This record gives sequence, C-alpha cells and structure tokens, in this order.
Amino acid sequence: MGEGAKAAPQTTSIPLTQQPPVAALHQDAGLNQSIVTTSIDALIGWGRKNSLWPFTFGTACCAIEFMALAASKYDLARFGAEFMRFSPRQSDLLIVAGTITYKQAPILRRIWEQMMEPRWVISVGACASTGGFYDCYCTLPGIDEIVPVDVYIAGCPPRPEAYIEALLQLQDKIQDSSYMKDRAAANHQRIQVG
Amino acid sequence: MKVLTPQGEKIDLLTVNIGPSHPATHGALRAFVALDGETIAGTVTEIGYLHRGFEKMVEQGTWQQVLPYTDRLNYCSAILNNIGFCHTIERMFEVDIPERAKVLRVLLSELSRIIDHVVCVAAAAADLGALTNYFYLFNPREKVYGIWEKLSGARLTNTFTRIGGLYRDTYDGFESEVASVLVEVEKGLDDAFRLLQHNRIFIERTRGCCPISAEDAVSWGWTGPCLRATGVDRDLRKDEPYLDYETYDFQTVVGSTGDTFDRVMVRMYEIKESISICRQALTRLRPGPINTTDPRLILPGHGKAYHDMEALINHFKVVFEGVCVPAGEFYGSIEAANGELGFFVVSDGSGKPWKIKVRPPCFTQFAAYADLVEGSMVADAIACLSSINIIAGELDR
Amino acid sequence: MSQTATTDLGRELVPANAQSRKAFQDQAFQILSSRFEGILDPADRWGLTVILPGPKLHEAVRFLRDDSEFQMDLLLDVTAIDYLEYPGHEEARYAVVYNLRSQRNAARRLRLKVRVEEESPSVPSIHDLFKIANWQERETWDQYGIVFAGHPDLRRLLNHIEFQGHPLRKDYPARKRQWLSTNDPLVDPMVARLKANGFSVLEAPTANAPSVEETDLLGKVSREQRNNVEKQS
Repeated sequence: MGEGAKAAPQTTSIPLTQQPPVAALHQDAGLNQSIVTTSIDALIGWGRKNSLWPFTFGTACCAIEFMALAASKYDLARFGAEFMRFSPRQSDLLIVAGTITYKQAPILRRIWEQMMEPRWVISVGACASTGGFYDCYCTLPGIDEIVPVDVYIAGCPPRPEAYIEALLQLQDKIQDSSYMKDRAAANHQRIQVG
Repeated sequence: MKVLTPQGEKIDLLTVNIGPSHPATHGALRAFVALDGETIAGTVTEIGYLHRGFEKMVEQGTWQQVLPYTDRLNYCSAILNNIGFCHTIERMFEVDIPERAKVLRVLLSELSRIIDHVVCVAAAAADLGALTNYFYLFNPREKVYGIWEKLSGARLTNTFTRIGGLYRDTYDGFESEVASVLVEVEKGLDDAFRLLQHNRIFIERTRGCCPISAEDAVSWGWTGPCLRATGVDRDLRKDEPYLDYETYDFQTVVGSTGDTFDRVMVRMYEIKESISICRQALTRLRPGPINTTDPRLILPGHGKAYHDMEALINHFKVVFEGVCVPAGEFYGSIEAANGELGFFVVSDGSGKPWKIKVRPPCFTQFAAYADLVEGSMVADAIACLSSINIIAGELDR
Repeated sequence: MSQTATTDLGRELVPANAQSRKAFQDQAFQILSSRFEGILDPADRWGLTVILPGPKLHEAVRFLRDDSEFQMDLLLDVTAIDYLEYPGHEEARYAVVYNLRSQRNAARRLRLKVRVEEESPSVPSIHDLFKIANWQERETWDQYGIVFAGHPDLRRLLNHIEFQGHPLRKDYPARKRQWLSTNDPLVDPMVARLKANGFSVLEAPTANAPSVEETDLLGKVSREQRNNVEKQS
C-alpha cells in the first residue's frame, strides 16, 4: 500500500491501512470465532474500496487503453472494480479517460452531479489532467476546472498498470476516509441549519 | 413530440439522446432520436465533442511536431496515420525512402490495420452481447502492443515514422515475434469466425440491418471497408499503389448488400489478407538503411556533425527551423483502416505548416448515419454504429 | 448520382500511373478552361488544381460528376484556406477547395478552387450534388466563416453553439478559449428532419435543456471573465 495515505484517524492508535479491516478475532470469549470487532470506519472503508463501480467517461485514446485494462491480460476484476456501470446513478467512481472539450464539459459536470455520494473521480492521462498538448481554443485545461479529482494518472495514454496503480491509491484513500466523521459533520450542519 | 405520421395517424414521439456519453457510442458522439415505440422516426446527429483543434495546433509547431498529433487521429491504428502523413510530405519533397523502410512501413501498416479491425469487430460483437470475441481477439492485440512497445516505447501512440524514414530500426528477434503474433491473430480470428459467422443470433441481428446502396455510399463519400461492403471494389492499395503495394499478392474483400453483417465480415476477411501481406513483407525484410539520405529531411548524424562544418549547419537548420516543405498545395492519401485517409497540405516554404486538413474516413460514414438508421429499431442503430467503426479522434480532429 | 448499376462500380479497375494521370489532367483542364473559365493554379505543382469563378462552380461540379468522360463521383473533401499574410499572396484572402476523385477510374483526381473575398465570403453550395457536401460545408463555415449560399442547414458542426468567431482563421488566437454553458437541445433540426421524413409536427417540445445558471460550471468565475482570460503560453 502507498506510503502517502496513512494519516491516522483519532479513533485508532495504528493507521487503518495497516490494520486488518476485520480485526481481533475473539477467541478468548468462547464465542467460537463468530464475533469480530472492528471500527465502523474500517469496515465501511473496506467495503467501499473493494466494491467500486466505475463509470467510464471515455472519450479518446485513453479509453482504448481502458479496454485493454478490462481484457484478460490486465483484468481489472482482480481489484474489485470490474462491474462497469454506464449509468451515473449506479456508480461511485468516475473515470474520465480522454480529452474533455468545452462542448463536452457541461455533460461531464452533469454526470458528476448525478452520481450518488460518496463519489470519487480519477483523471486519466495528460488531456484530462491538464489538457495535454492540445492547448487551444476548444480543450478544457484539465477537468479539475469543473469537477474535483481524487487521483491523477500521468501518461498519453497511461499504461494499464498506471490505471491499476491509480485504483490502488484510490482504495487507500477510501480506506482512510472516515464515515463517522462525515456523518457527524453532516449532522452538525443539519442542526445548525435547523 | 406530437406528430401526424405520413399515414395521417396522430402519435406521440419520444425523444431520446443516445450519447454523447453512452456505452454504445464508442466515444463522444451524439444521436438525438425521435422514437415511435422502438422504431426510429427521425435522427439528428451531432459531432464535435472531441474536437481538440488538430488543425489549429499543427500550425503552431514545426512539420516534425505534427507527427504526435497524427497519432491521436485514429488512435486504434496510430502508425497508419504516421505513415499517411509522412508519405504525403515525402511526396511533396519527391524523395524516395529506402527499401527496408518501405517494407517495414507495409508490415507496420498491415499490423495496425489488423488491430484496428480487431477493435472494431470485437466491439461490434460486444455491443450485440457476444463478449467472448472481445477476449479472443484482444489477447493477440496485446501481443501486437508488446511489439509496438519494443519498437517505439509506447503502446498506443507510437510516433514511429519520421519524414524521410523511420524513428529507428527494429530490435533483435522482431521478425520471429511478428511471425508468432500473426499465428496468434489467426487463431483468435478463427475462434471469432467460429463464434460469429454461422451464429444464428448474430446473423439475425445484423443481416439486413441498416443497409446502404453502392450509389448512396459513393455520394456520401464512403471509402474503405464500409464502401467495399456495398460491393464497390475500391482500395487505394490497388488503385493508386504506394509503398510498392502492387508487388504484394492480396485480394480486396468485397461485400454485396452493404448491411451490418457485410461490414463486419469484410473487416474480418481483411484481417486475413493483412496477415498474408505481413508474411510476404517478412520474407522481403533485408538489412539496410531505414532513412533517406536527403539532407533537407534527415539529420546528418553525430559523426558527421562533429567533424564537418556543412553537416553541422545542416543539423542546426533541421533542428531549429525544422523540415522546410516546398511551398505549394498538395493532397496525399493512403488506405487507412477505415478508408481513405488524406492530408491536404498547404506550405509556404517555411518550417511551419500553413495548413493541414485531414480528410478523415469515418467523417463520411457518420454523416450518413442518420439516413442509415431511420426506420429501423434502436437496437439495430447500435449494431450499425459499431459496424461503421467511428473513431472520435479522427471524426472530430 | 449518375444512374449506373452497382456492377459498374464493382468491376476491376486499372491502377493509376503517371501516364494516365497526365492524360486525364490535360483533358480535364482543357474542358474546365474552355467551358467554365477555369485557370491553372500554380500552387499545385504535383497534380491539377483549377481555379474557377464562384458562379461557375455548381455547374462545373455537376458536369464533372455526370459527364461520362469524367465521372468524378467522389467528393473527398471541402475545406478553405486563409491566406492572411501568406508570403507573396495578392489575391483574395480566402479560397474554398474541393477535392474530387473518381471511383471509376483511379487516375482521375483533381482539385477545384474558388477564391473568396474577405468582405463577403460566400460560395454556392453543392449540397444537392453530393450528400456529404452538407457536412463538409457546415464544417468549413464553422471553421472559416465562409457562407455556402443555398445550404439548407448552415449550423456549426465541430464547435459548440455559443462559440463566437471562426477558429481556423489566421487572426483567431489559438488559445482564446470559449466556455459553453449548456448543450444544443437540437429540437429545431429534429423538427426539420421529421418534416423531411413525411411527418407533420403538431407540437414541438420547448427546449428542455437546463438553464445556464443550473449548469454554470463551478460558478466562481463568470463565463465572460473566463472567456476573456487568454491563457498565456
């Protein structure tokens, strides 16, 4: 797992990424290994990161490499993200693969808005991340002008291994995010508003 | 949308957007359809969602810097675009490239054509639910990418040719790897043939689906496999041979009805012909130079540039000014995987292109799409779209 | 289209060579110069380009397409050239270029060119002769702002509906970006299309695309501000 994403939440003493998601089998209690304890954050993060449903917003060359990723040799299914959904309502990971033009930008924004929370975005390749070498009147200089991006992948187009690396990094990020904190913040906001 | 049908019946049409982000559109296309039940009453297509300003960008750099942009026109067969562009410029210079470069270009062209057709056939079948072909055909395609990687360092966007020759020579063991890849492609293709050719579901989904007559196809400006599927026996490799294609023994594949089935089958049989051309090219591959010696195009090489004043100046000028293409206007084309890929070049004699207009083959095919699908079912429109093989990169440029 | 059977297009074709090309070019130029006031374009040193006066274009293309000697039945491409500050250029600023080829004879390729003045850039449309010309002319209008008189549906093709100006003109800065707030609902073209297919539209929907505010991208900077910022290289 990546070194970068190990900020320990306050609820546990060891970083969650090093902790087995389902921790401490209670053999002593005579419960015959039928009860495990863990934190709700670790459990939800573990569940979320291994069942990503990607929506591929493939427009150009990078999408062709995505096809290679889905085929036998690289096999995205090994990472729990093989279930491609082409409806934003059913997916939680937006993979933007390819150049986004100004004509395309409102559509990308709408698709991101239609996705359910929690949602993540991977920006694939030079064009989606920065506009690439298409620095001209019609191309968006990076999709982070219109949607927030979690992981960027370099390359034009990136190799399939780079997609896998990005997915692993995103999984670390998801594991480290705290569902409880998010919920508390949302509750707090609701009380303030109410 | 409330309408009166031509028969005078009052009905309500449902309007649906297919695309620009839709699993069946293979990229950023949009077809806005008005549906009477499942039947398409009217279609309006819109393109430009991947218009990334190829023609404006190439005017900003030198002639050599155009090459990476050509890669990203038809990214399924990038080397074919490289060859098309370099071939056009070489014809403007009226220079000839060495024999080895020609044979290698033919070999790489046909390998590119194979993987381009493979993507089209696999995607067409996958759109109809036949996903197995995708795996059978993509495995040999990965092997071809392995060869591309060893040759140029990139899997997809290779930029392998140069104006006046090639980026570099092949590596040790190239020939045997190509030969073994060809065997694998053949096997994958045979598997796909067995799955599709006599498959009743596939035939019933594609036979008679969105046909086009030869006359209409010509008026729409169609070229390449889609035109040949209508029975028109035209192939630039035969009609206006370049790279010594006239010396290779191959057939053009011609369909009869111009329906979706024919379009897919023409591509599959063309893979067979391309394999045969590749094998012939392999037997012709002899050691030799891969670049022309014309000093207007090619750097003199380190040995000379260090010791020879003229060579140093030549090196300096080619690097700083770029290749100076003779002033004038020229249209050059090759038979790319989708049809006639043309470059209309305007040069003012300087190191920067004045204008390069690409004549993309699938532009014409998508222009006809609305006419093709009207009157058929939505499901047929999907099958039709994958069979005409729209590559958004070259469609919108 | 000329009324020829499919078998005619399917027959074996003689590959083009230098001789047959030369013979065709001589013959074509002779006819085009005597009947349509065409002159030779010196810019094309490799093939044949004939400059035609605008009003003769439609007639000349129809002749080339239908004449049994020529049968130039494939319109490969329509595009324009902007000669602004082209070294040594003294003619009109624009030229519209038509690339033609014959599917029946491989040696037959030629290019027609019409010079277009900057003040009123207009040429007659040939959409009725070739189906593909419709889109090619739309693209040329979109990119160069050249009006094709008589074109039924001269809309932008590659750039979006809110785009101002014509990007491939030499005086359009390459990095002048233009944001789009919402996509084209395409209702009007659909109504026209349905009418052409024999339907009579009783009640067309109003465009149900989201409003500008709804899709304002990130909303922090106004569109005008964004458009005015020209990204520095």
